[in-house]
Amino acid sequence: MRRLLFHSLSLLSVFSGGQLLALDAKQTQELIKLVDERQRNMGDYASTVFIDQKEKDGSTKAFEARVYRRDADDKWMILFTKPKAEAGKGYLRVEKNLFLYEPSLGKWERQTERASIGGTNSRRDDFDESRLAEEYDGTFVADEKLGKFAVHRLKMTAKPSAEVASPILELWVDQESKNVLKRQELALSGKLLRTIYYPSWDKMFSKSKNADVYVPKEIRVFDEVEKGSGTTVVLREVKLDPLEANMFTKAWLETQSK
Amino acid sequence: MLTILNIAFRNLLQAKRRTILLGLAVTIVASLFLVLRSVSASVSERMIESATTLSAGHVNIGGFFKSSKKASAPVLVGREELRAFVRKEVPEAVSIIDRHRGWGRLISPASSINVGVNGIIFDEEERFFRSLRLAKESEYKKDGSQQAVGNFDDLKQPNNVLIFAAQAKKLEVGVGDTLTFVTEASRTQSNTADLRIAAIASDIGFMSNWSIFMPRQNVLDLNRVSDDTTGVVMVYLPSQDQAETVMNRLRESFKTKGYQVLDHDPNPFFLKFDKIAGEDWLGQKLDLTLWSDEISFVIWVTAALDLVSFFVVGVLSIIIIGGIMNAMWMSVRERTKEIGTMRAIGAQKGFVIQLFLTEAVMLGLFASLLGIVLVGITLSILNGLEVPITNEGARLFLMSNNLYFSLHAGQFISTLLLFGFITGLAALYPALKASKLRPVEALMQGK
Repeated sequence: MRRLLFHSLSLLSVFSGGQLLALDAKQTQELIKLVDERQRNMGDYASTVFIDQKEKDGSTKAFEARVYRRDADDKWMILFTKPKAEAGKGYLRVEKNLFLYEPSLGKWERQTERASIGGTNSRRDDFDESRLAEEYDGTFVADEKLGKFAVHRLKMTAKPSAEVASPILELWVDQESKNVLKRQELALSGKLLRTIYYPSWDKMFSKSKNADVYVPKEIRVFDEVEKGSGTTVVLREVKLDPLEANMFTKAWLETQSK
Repeated sequence: MLTILNIAFRNLLQAKRRTILLGLAVTIVASLFLVLRSVSASVSERMIESATTLSAGHVNIGGFFKSSKKASAPVLVGREELRAFVRKEVPEAVSIIDRHRGWGRLISPASSINVGVNGIIFDEEERFFRSLRLAKESEYKKDGSQQAVGNFDDLKQPNNVLIFAAQAKKLEVGVGDTLTFVTEASRTQSNTADLRIAAIASDIGFMSNWSIFMPRQNVLDLNRVSDDTTGVVMVYLPSQDQAETVMNRLRESFKTKGYQVLDHDPNPFFLKFDKIAGEDWLGQKLDLTLWSDEISFVIWVTAALDLVSFFVVGVLSIIIIGGIMNAMWMSVRERTKEIGTMRAIGAQKGFVIQLFLTEAVMLGLFASLLGIVLVGITLSILNGLEVPITNEGARLFLMSNNLYFSLHAGQFISTLLLFGFITGLAALYPALKASKLRPVEALMQGK
């Protein structure tokens, strides 16, 4: 019996690339739900973000913006405040539609989920709440080391009904804190598009959730197709207090732009 | 009549200084008018050429498919049926082709650009390839050779792409290099393809800056759509003047056949996504457009040029009319005795009017003819020299990479007639005044 068990484990080890599966399908799904849950606030969210964009020709752009979220209604908004040339520009997501407001033209334009924010490598979903369990099916890949961190590596495939920019993701989740430390986004063709690092997280108490919420303090985005171009997003002054009721409207954003 | 012509000609010769000065003014304005018209015509011709070569047929049957309320993909299902129906309904068509269309980002190791993509079937695109020319290496590479490398035929094979010289220059690539194309597949998901540059064509106006061509199968794979889909059915007619009639006829035929057809919106398909995405319907609707609709966003260039021409020539014509009126009035004053004598020996009022009008019209015709000849020779030489336009803004405005002026017999004739008319009009009042002089008073004044 012991010999049979030994041989079974050896065989499993060979088929799994020399490594035993640390998480089964159920545990993987639970982990993904946990990742979402730890970031979910249930109420409103506001923060100041500093976006630093580096192009592959060496040129750089820097922006300051305010990000607002109302996760209960799936509403999201980013309003640029600096530099002066970009001040007043904003993105608003309501009823799963993303719009861009250009104050110089006084015009709203519909954007796709893939649209970059302010011409940087960042996208709308980089600033939004985590909905991995809702949008993706996950499978466990391996337990690995990411620098000094022991991580679970997961592969995520978009659900057929999900409208997401990245059809395939790979996630490196810290085994201890359950925070995502690294994320890679792949195209349908399997080509790697972006690598994102989350080097630090903050823990905050949310009154609406009545529990702790984990928010990233910094996000580093690397474009893997246009090598050499990347974006660093630093999040500051994160507040989880209720926002004005009428904030997530085109009219509100337009008044802020004046 | 010959007598009038003879007298008018002699009068012009007699007042040499006045004739030369007035003639010079008319020559300059007529030349300016002709140059502006030729620029406007060349921009307009370039637009038609670019539009009908790169992105549109004379009539286009495009449309949108909405799989969800907020979606709007430029895709039509039932390609074969659609093509067969158009073929049956437009028997006068010279050719009917279809292309898949979309957009994405083309990325090289050095740079990247946003482009519109066209998925083509090589064997159907004879018209397109006939109007293209492989670019010399020097057109996109510094110190490049005068040799044109690459092969359009390679576009028969998947994973090849045709780009234009300006794009190759920006991306810093040559034939045989690989580019990555990133686009949005169904449900906004990212997809990519690595494409080999099969050929680099010479630019066709500035519109070729944002168009690339790849085999249809590549676009199907990128967009994850079935073989029985298309982006647009393009109909080429014997003459572009037939386009509107054919489009209206097709619209009615489609409706009768039971197709859902959008109201005519004279804009290119990529400016309609917002509107379509905001509409509350699902499924497919056809969108019929003319070639000019697909480039409506640049048609303002010719409108602006025409407006500038009209304004400049209008102001200068008013100055000319003032000058000619003044000169003719002086002429009437100087020749009062002559007019009185003519009237005394039996010349009618009409004869006097004809005499002054003929003199002015003759001056206008000679002077504008001189302008036409000078402009014709100068612009023909400049066209022959193929002077490159180095300024990006000027290239964008003139829709050409080389200085090119469109010259036609129609422009020459209309310029001649216009300035003959303007000078005649300017002489009308002095001529009427001259004809109203009473012979006795005229003879007395002459003393």
